[in-house]
Amino acid sequence: MIRLRNLSKDYERRKILRGIDLQVEAGEFVFLTGPSGAGKTTLLRLLYAAENPSDGEVWVAGRRLDTLSRSQLPLLRRKIGVIFQDFKLLRRKNVLDNVTFVLRIHGVAPREAQRRALQVLKRLGLQHRQAAFPDALSGGEQQRVAIARALAYQPRLILADEPTGNLDADLASELLSLLCDINYQGATVLVATHDQALLESLPARTLLLHQGQIHYDGMWPP
Amino acid sequence: MAAVIRHALSEGWLLLRQRGPVSAVLAFALAVPISLAGVGLSVQSWLGPAAAMSEQASVVAVLLHPRLDREQRQSWMAEQAEAHPDWVLSEVSRQDLVERLERWFPYLEELVEGGDASLPQLVEIETTDPESVGALEGQSEVLAIGPRSSVQQLLGRVARGLGWGLGVLSGILMAAAVLLVSVWVHLELYRHADEITIMRLVGATEPTIRGPFLVAVAVPGAVAGVLSVIGSVVIVRGLSRLAETLGLPAVTLDGRLLILEAAVGLLLPLTAAALTLARHAGHEIAE
Repeated sequence: MIRLRNLSKDYERRKILRGIDLQVEAGEFVFLTGPSGAGKTTLLRLLYAAENPSDGEVWVAGRRLDTLSRSQLPLLRRKIGVIFQDFKLLRRKNVLDNVTFVLRIHGVAPREAQRRALQVLKRLGLQHRQAAFPDALSGGEQQRVAIARALAYQPRLILADEPTGNLDADLASELLSLLCDINYQGATVLVATHDQALLESLPARTLLLHQGQIHYDGMWPP
Repeated sequence: MAAVIRHALSEGWLLLRQRGPVSAVLAFALAVPISLAGVGLSVQSWLGPAAAMSEQASVVAVLLHPRLDREQRQSWMAEQAEAHPDWVLSEVSRQDLVERLERWFPYLEELVEGGDASLPQLVEIETTDPESVGALEGQSEVLAIGPRSSVQQLLGRVARGLGWGLGVLSGILMAAAVLLVSVWVHLELYRHADEITIMRLVGATEPTIRGPFLVAVAVPGAVAGVLSVIGSVVIVRGLSRLAETLGLPAVTLDGRLLILEAAVGLLLPLTAAALTLARHAGHEIAE
């Protein structure tokens, strides 16, 4: 599902990622961890083609991202569900519209989009907040809307950037079980986190990123 | 494709609702220049016959010295005809000249009674460039040259200038309208930059991103087209009434011009918006 070959990323001569080689098979659940500034978010941005690598290759779902044309890029992104650290919700739309909006731009008919959005909102305990606007929601609720949006269109790959950063322990555990469910249904899940409790709550393949390089790749705890 | 159109219509409608007063101003700002351009073209066509007068040939009268005999006059005329091929020279008969003098200048009775020796010979030069007859000034054979600019030509020049002026004014107003649409779209893109970024991240295609903006511009454009047609009809009717009061023919408004106005109202802002979107909405994700 994901293949990185000698991947490097520089920002103004500062090396963020250095010579990363990685392979993640379809259906895997992988944690990406490391201290702040290790390059976790940059790696995720490269995976959803928000950035181009300075060197090396990024392959997702069998496509090399830096060679994709602009018209092919949206089609690839439809296979990826991204849960952003800063939520990236549409401020002018309510909770339900934030979720249906994505389904509708993917070509789902309005009624079906609404049905699926309500289903996923119910699953995340947000059904009673469907008419609320993002600014009226708590950080945890906004995070769950962002998750609902990423899950609504049943992507083949889920990229989550610090998904539990704004959630209490119970909600974090609930989110993890949700991601496990999705993974069980066949989606590949890559979660970037520095939350030790989260890492320890689920034995899974873990990549430890430090100073732009993968220092550890294996089950966690070791 | 159906999903893209559905999305463009629903999101475009939202944009319009959020920016209702601005959209109304935009429609009005577009309607005014389009309507004026329509009126300008109608007035230009109405002024057409008057403008054409500036190109009609005029006759300039030239009085030759009475001392010139017939042979000398003929020789002078042949010389001028050769030097100025566009001139048509004709000698006014003595009888005709006398009649004219008696009718228009009765106080020159003595001159007429003085006979051939005192009566100058009148030659008429027909030309489309009456100013060129001025070249005869200073010649010993020429006694005087009549007025070189006719009222008709003056009217024609004024009419032509007015037509051009209206055309240029319409062009400037249209350019201002296009600029207004471009600035409006640019501002909306800036206002919705975050949403555009999010849309790209979740897999929206370019037509999905740009469609709502085009719809939000097409609606005021269509309204502008209708308003401009109404405006043109009202203004041209007013001008026609004024012209009829002055005994002039009515100004007519061509039906094709009205269709063109409606089409321009819709297409002009759409084109301006499409170009602005191509220029400013094409950037990849900037977070």
